[in-house]
Amino acid sequence: MANSVHIIDSPEQILFAAQRLRDTVMATEVTPDTILDVFEAWAVALGARDTADIPGVAFLRLWLRRGTLEPIIARELGPGALKGDWMQDGRARLKACPIGVVGHWPAGNIEIQPILSMTCSLLGGNASLVRVPRDLVDQTGRLLQKLEQSDTARIFARRIFVAAFGHDRQDLQEAMARVVDGAMIWGGTEAVLAVRALPFPHKARLAVFGPRISVAAMSADIWCEKEERESWCRRIARDVWQFDQQACSSPQVLFLERRAGSSPIEFLEGLKNAFETENRVHPRQTIHPALTSAICHARASWLCADLANSALFPASPDWTILVGSGSEIPTPTHGRTLTVLEVDDLFDPISQLSEDVQTLGLAMGDPDREERLASAALKRGVNRIVKLGRMHTFVPPWDGVDLIRPMVRMVRYVRSAD
Amino acid sequence: MTSAEALGERIDRMVASSPYSAPPEERSLALLEMLKDELEYTCERSSALRNYVRHWPVDVRLAQRIADLPYLPVRLLKAQPPLSLVEPGEIKRTLMSSATTGQLPSRVVLDSATARRMTKGIIVIVSDFIGSSRRPYLVVDVPGSVRGRAELGARGAAIQSLQPFASSATYCLNQSSHGELTLDLEKVLEFADNHRESPILVYGFTYILWNHLVKPLIAKDIRVDMPRVRILHSGGWKRLQDESVDKRTFNEGLARVFGCRTDDVIDFYGLIENVGIIYPDCPAGNKHVPAFGDVIVRNPLTLEPVEIGEQGLVQVCSVLPTSFPGHLLLTEDMAEVVADDGCPCGRRGLCFHFVGRVEKAEIRGCGNIERQRVSGRLRDL
Repeated sequence: MANSVHIIDSPEQILFAAQRLRDTVMATEVTPDTILDVFEAWAVALGARDTADIPGVAFLRLWLRRGTLEPIIARELGPGALKGDWMQDGRARLKACPIGVVGHWPAGNIEIQPILSMTCSLLGGNASLVRVPRDLVDQTGRLLQKLEQSDTARIFARRIFVAAFGHDRQDLQEAMARVVDGAMIWGGTEAVLAVRALPFPHKARLAVFGPRISVAAMSADIWCEKEERESWCRRIARDVWQFDQQACSSPQVLFLERRAGSSPIEFLEGLKNAFETENRVHPRQTIHPALTSAICHARASWLCADLANSALFPASPDWTILVGSGSEIPTPTHGRTLTVLEVDDLFDPISQLSEDVQTLGLAMGDPDREERLASAALKRGVNRIVKLGRMHTFVPPWDGVDLIRPMVRMVRYVRSAD
Repeated sequence: MTSAEALGERIDRMVASSPYSAPPEERSLALLEMLKDELEYTCERSSALRNYVRHWPVDVRLAQRIADLPYLPVRLLKAQPPLSLVEPGEIKRTLMSSATTGQLPSRVVLDSATARRMTKGIIVIVSDFIGSSRRPYLVVDVPGSVRGRAELGARGAAIQSLQPFASSATYCLNQSSHGELTLDLEKVLEFADNHRESPILVYGFTYILWNHLVKPLIAKDIRVDMPRVRILHSGGWKRLQDESVDKRTFNEGLARVFGCRTDDVIDFYGLIENVGIIYPDCPAGNKHVPAFGDVIVRNPLTLEPVEIGEQGLVQVCSVLPTSFPGHLLLTEDMAEVVADDGCPCGRRGLCFHFVGRVEKAEIRGCGNIERQRVSGRLRDL
């Protein structure tokens, strides 16, 4: 881990790093309990000024807390796994063991994702070989420096290797794929397909996260309730703002259930206020010109496509609310562009969802109805159904998959004497 | 006289004025009022665009700057059927932009009034750079690029726009049945023999000029001495950048082949959706905006006009079209503002450098899903 992020230019550098990581895993065992001690200290260190401004750090600090991770470890690996103990399973015993070196291909849009992904495999006792997208080298380096400071026993010194190289360096991508025992792959369609096509060993385990989109739905009793409206709008804005709406858990559309005699104008005004407030608190620092173009195009094409469509947006590309009706999910624009679609019945859009939808963020007043809606959504392939405002809360299973267990061997041991 | 005719007369008067001599403030005021009226005209003829303007965050009637007026993203002109402000029977021609594989071209419909103004606009601009006299015109392209088509591509439109400067036109490329372009050397040599001492106009797309005229002639060590030539080219540098040919190499190659000065080679930026306006490089290397149009370079982060020396997205403005909504268009090109006035060439107003196309954003987020089935049907924005 020394020097945090390594700029890589030859396959040999990757081979050498992977061999060192593998040797470490073979030679030393580290329990989740020990790892959590370091993670706790790391979470505290990340509150420092030079890392606190990295988008998602508050989220990462919460993730690294023992209180968050202990229950996840117990659920995924068993109650004894925290201390590295065997667990009784009838007459047999089970133990969670690392698979070896886990490669990580995080998405380029989420600053903390290389770290999040890496922690998942470390908790399984693995070593991590992480490819960092070029745009995230600086932030990842700063986050890793805090880990170095917190890891006084240097248990991660030879368990983490973070490599930076261009996505177009096929030779380096292939070299990395060849030396790993498992891979955690995150990203859009193009990125995921490209990584999956790399020459992984036949035994390598692949855990793929994304590409997905997410949607939100709100029943009429919620948005018609004046007292609660503001806080719900704030929650929606928070979900839209995180990761500039490019994460798989980012809501792209909000289905709003109609109520006869009630107009959503006040709700939309509240949503606009919430977006303005969120924008003041978390203004964009940069934007790709292509995203600006896409946002401008989305605004114009939406309003020109149907005279019944309306929209709220400032002169800047900061945020956009497109308002219309219908159950179809529009092609996502991202960049804080939320489409609000009125529907007669929330079951209409839910019945059209597919496995491409990862998260359904809900705000419903009737728990029984919500449960029926959730059941309908899971049958359509949705993997996460959560309260609006918590769409990005990073708790496994994610995309329907555990985060630690996929990179762990559950070893079964039955004594010969038994 | 109808309101449309009155508007047309005002546009004609603006086009007839000197293109680059008005003080910037005076020019901006006149343009602002004209563009507001044209927006009103557009809204009267298109309910879809009226809906867009109605939702614009600035009240158009109260707008104090051209930059505050509602602009359309140029991609909207890829709509099929094309966006039109006139009855189908009034459409005389449809111009099509070049489009990369798998993409739709923009379609720009012209009625006779817009077509006439388009010609006039180009004449006014180009005259300011090369003079107004007619001269032999060597087109480095194939004749089929323009001949009698109701739909005209970007190359054909550019070739035809310079026709008013031609006393005669000679096309010097052939096209094989596989679409390959080859130089008709005999035709070029004959043209050179006939017009060696005359003022000459040459036009070609940038990469075509290089690949199908300059390279073959240099390879054969042939010079077609025409020292009084003016060479105009457009279409962008992307393909030549891929071949590591920069502007200097390009200009020197042409100067060597034609025996002219590198200053006689004029690169111009233009797009089919901005009919009637092109932006040639002045001797100082800058591009200028004529009196009947404007360019606003917008910061992608704020969409506000950038400061001098900064780069941003190019918005083109034009009073010329009345057959399609091409008055205020946000392009997918990038430019850098050089100065808001005072170019050494003497032309007044904003001058800028073209930087290039907006690069496609890297698809990298786990929320970036391909246009595929998300729900039962995916609605395209």
